[in-house]
Amino acid sequence: MDRYEVIIGIEVHVELKTQSKLFCGCATRFGMEPNSETCPVCLGMPGVLPVLNGEAIEMAVKSALALHCQVRPFSKFDRKQYFYPDLPKAYQISQYDQPLAEWGWVEIRLSGGAPKKIRVRRIHVEEDAGKLNHMGQRLGDAVGSLVDLNRAGVPLIEIVSEPDLRSAEEARLYLTELRATLSYLDVSDLRMQEGSMRCDANVSLKPVGYQGSLEDLPRVEIKNVNSIRNVQRGIDYEVARQSEVLQAGQRIIKETRGLDDATGRTYSQRSKEEANDYRYFPEPDLPPLVLEPAWIDEVSHHLPDLPATIRQNLMARGLPEQDAEVLVQDREAYDYWSKAIHYHADEKLVANWMLSDVARLINARQESYARCSVGPQGLAELLDLMADGTLSGRMAKEVLEGMFETKETAREVVKARGLNQITDTGALMEVVKTVVADHAVVVADYRSGKDKALAFLVGQVMKATRGQAKPGLVNTLLKEAIGREDLTT
Amino acid sequence: MELSDQDIRHVAQLARLRLMPGELGQVRRDLNRVLAYVETLQQLNLEGIEPTMHGGQVQAPLRSDRVSASLSVAQATANAPEVQGGMFRVPRIMESGGDAGE
Amino acid sequence: MSEIWQCSASGLHAEFVDGALRAQDIVGAHLERIDAVDSQIGAFLYVDREGAMKTARMQDDWSKVDRIHHPLSGVPVALKDNLMTHTMPTTAGSKILAKFIAPYDATVVERLGAAGAIMVGKTNLDEFAMGSSTEHSAWQKTRNPWDLTRVPGGSSGGSAAAVASQMVPLALGSDTGGSIRQPAAYCGIVGMKPTYGRVSRYGLIAFASSLDQIGPLTRTVKDAELLYRIIQGHDPRDSTSLPDTADPFPMVGRPLRIGIPREYFTDGIAPGVRTSVEDALERLKMLGHQLVDISLPHTEYAIATYYLIAPAEASSNLARYDGVRYGLRQAGTDLLTMYETTRDQGFGDEVKRRILLGTHALSAGYYDAYYSTAQKVRTLIRRDFEEAFAEVDYIVTPTTPDQAFVFGERDEDPIRMYLGDIFTVTANLAGIPGLSMPIGVQNGLPVGLQWLAPAMHDLSLLSVARMLEMDPEEWIGPKGVKA
Repeated sequence: MDRYEVIIGIEVHVELKTQSKLFCGCATRFGMEPNSETCPVCLGMPGVLPVLNGEAIEMAVKSALALHCQVRPFSKFDRKQYFYPDLPKAYQISQYDQPLAEWGWVEIRLSGGAPKKIRVRRIHVEEDAGKLNHMGQRLGDAVGSLVDLNRAGVPLIEIVSEPDLRSAEEARLYLTELRATLSYLDVSDLRMQEGSMRCDANVSLKPVGYQGSLEDLPRVEIKNVNSIRNVQRGIDYEVARQSEVLQAGQRIIKETRGLDDATGRTYSQRSKEEANDYRYFPEPDLPPLVLEPAWIDEVSHHLPDLPATIRQNLMARGLPEQDAEVLVQDREAYDYWSKAIHYHADEKLVANWMLSDVARLINARQESYARCSVGPQGLAELLDLMADGTLSGRMAKEVLEGMFETKETAREVVKARGLNQITDTGALMEVVKTVVADHAVVVADYRSGKDKALAFLVGQVMKATRGQAKPGLVNTLLKEAIGREDLTT
Repeated sequence: MELSDQDIRHVAQLARLRLMPGELGQVRRDLNRVLAYVETLQQLNLEGIEPTMHGGQVQAPLRSDRVSASLSVAQATANAPEVQGGMFRVPRIMESGGDAGE
Repeated sequence: MSEIWQCSASGLHAEFVDGALRAQDIVGAHLERIDAVDSQIGAFLYVDREGAMKTARMQDDWSKVDRIHHPLSGVPVALKDNLMTHTMPTTAGSKILAKFIAPYDATVVERLGAAGAIMVGKTNLDEFAMGSSTEHSAWQKTRNPWDLTRVPGGSSGGSAAAVASQMVPLALGSDTGGSIRQPAAYCGIVGMKPTYGRVSRYGLIAFASSLDQIGPLTRTVKDAELLYRIIQGHDPRDSTSLPDTADPFPMVGRPLRIGIPREYFTDGIAPGVRTSVEDALERLKMLGHQLVDISLPHTEYAIATYYLIAPAEASSNLARYDGVRYGLRQAGTDLLTMYETTRDQGFGDEVKRRILLGTHALSAGYYDAYYSTAQKVRTLIRRDFEEAFAEVDYIVTPTTPDQAFVFGERDEDPIRMYLGDIFTVTANLAGIPGLSMPIGVQNGLPVGLQWLAPAMHDLSLLSVARMLEMDPEEWIGPKGVKA
């Protein structure tokens, strides 16, 4: 392995979450009845023309600026031509030589290493294709395929990195940071399982001492991987496979490979030796996209806080680095935290609870921070009860579980489960000691044999705890306290 | 830049047109005549000349992101040669047949 | 005027408004005329008798105010069969769209409907508008009403022949390199290609997107203006549609400077055409206008430019006919076979020839030499006109170098066929408006004169052309058609 350097470039397709498609007014909802969200335009009927969705452009520009790209005031659309049943016009309206934005970067931080900037070559806007359902196990043995064009025309941005990544781990960090950044912009659902974020990784091995262009190295493209974890697996497998091939003295074939989720292996899909000739040419139905520099500036001034800023901010507030990192990478967690600290001041405690107990319950119940049975205000209330001594940490955990199960507030759970009695000996003992100290005469009476005096003292404790203490326990504790006082005096 | 029969076959393949062996010669002659004719453009000095890519409008208008009515599935598929479950059915796709899309 | 069908559109509408004619009588008369002569002409691919009569009956119940508010009420109109209509099939003259019924109407069809036009049918064309004779229709021949052995021109040959044989007073065509103006010239009627972007292309089956425009075919200039005013205007569904701005101040009513481009008056012009055009130029001089010798130096490159750009765009626009979502499908055991068989059976030879040419012009390694070069020459052609219009108000040329030719004459040689478009393609490449009008009859066939104006001067063009109309009310029609 040492004789090769791993060279990785990544292309990410992100579906923008506009209401309507890129070039027509059809809705972009996921999971609808096949072909129910289509019109003459996205069906590629004769005579139709595209009209650009301004919101898609704004989302694309936001994304480009957040990834530190330069947005071109003048870009144009081109037709990328190939025949496939999921591509209704037999061309995809995309951007070829004058994309929306260029020259950006994403900073990744390897553990224990210095930050590294991964350059973003370009970001362009294009339309998505439809969906093919193959009537068989695999494409090869299908008797036919069924075309659903609901997704055809949904706006996409394609983010192309430079081949700056040197390991599967760097690829993972790049994708994680990229996804985190986009998540704060509210431009996409970013769900890889549903295909609203899709990755292709180009992997090649560069022999040590190779002086030529990276572009000329035989490249294998791993297509359409459905999770960041699988991108990592695919790259790991590909690096091992390619180095074996090279060590056996064979050459790497430029091709497209798929990833088998079950085995983590890649398999050949099609050779790129006979590259598609896409016959790009400027889309005559769409004049160039002209963006006022003043407008681009305005969009850039209104960008929300992004991971780099948020990370810095969290660490400045004293959160441990690891907690800060988890919050930054999960926009929903960060939003949850931000809301919760509005109600409960101990920011570190909120993070701590979120990332341990809340996270555990969310995972177990397959919820998410955004759709969580216990909202940020609910968690804050629970932590308040802990802070005022009503609940111990152990009890609070039990209450939290109850809250998840019943969807009730912390106080409701406490009450319903009888947890509102102060059963915590340590807390109650404090109250008992105070009562004993405040009523020296009565205590003396009790010691002198007046049993009734104890009842008075119990009443005082119950009063001080507003009836939340368990009388039997109070009795025991009073006796213990007075007895122990006996010993000390 | 005269086109050979093989060039013509390649172009036909790109365009998903089938040419019968009998048609090939005629098509080659016609295309080569046209290509020879358009060679005249190569005489012009086009240095620094911007291409005219579009007709009138100089800038793409942007539409607001509003959903408008889609067709019903029945309307969308009304002209389709083969429909199954509201979807357009196509024959099987051969992975190596040059069918591969994106 | 003895017969209803001889009447102009503006005349018919006026009589309908006044109550002198019922819409049913107008439509009925035109349908009868179609029955009487279209078996000889072959202009129509589809006639919607019931739809037209239904609309007519409805309009007969309208008040006078309603009729006035619908400037084409009572007027029958024919549509070239590459304009999408949801009530009639739209085939583009191609087997690949046999029986296709669109789920929507073209913007121009909507606008005609809103103006009260009564749409009687769809007219023949060269397949996907690729041709200059309408011989390349997959369905039928259309004959020139002046001489049934000759072509009506094309590609809007059906619309031109329908208007010239008085089956309808108005028709729409489309013009990518002369497809309105050339058949108008061959059939002795008025045909106009508006400024690119003035008329929405939404619902026009695309041939070459950066060149296509829809326009009127009529017997009088006044009717052309009537129809143009209805169909023009901004359409948010067409991103190349121009904003609604008032036309520049019309350049009429004063001595005009009229450019005569020397490159257009070459030896290639048929003697009859030359005679009629020279007569017309004499008349312009006599009317007090100044004829100015001008040069459009890149004219000789126009055909080569056009025959790279148009097929390139067409190859892309016609890729969608793949047998998946609509149109013809030929069975195939696998997808590739289905694609190839469908497109092989569905497209005619001329369409295939242009798809192949266009595909080649865009393919890897050739793009710069062909498509990109052509786009740059297009810039030079556009500049020629900009420079010319700095000197003159209008340009006048013959519409075509020749008159209507006999069937089959140009089948064999594509270059010869393409060269017939020499005077018309430049307006499409430059995006400027052009209008052809009849200016004489030679050898029993009409001759067309072309007016060109700067972009946006569409209404000026329609005004200025009137000065050469022999008699705006009495159109000189063909003698060839006997009812």
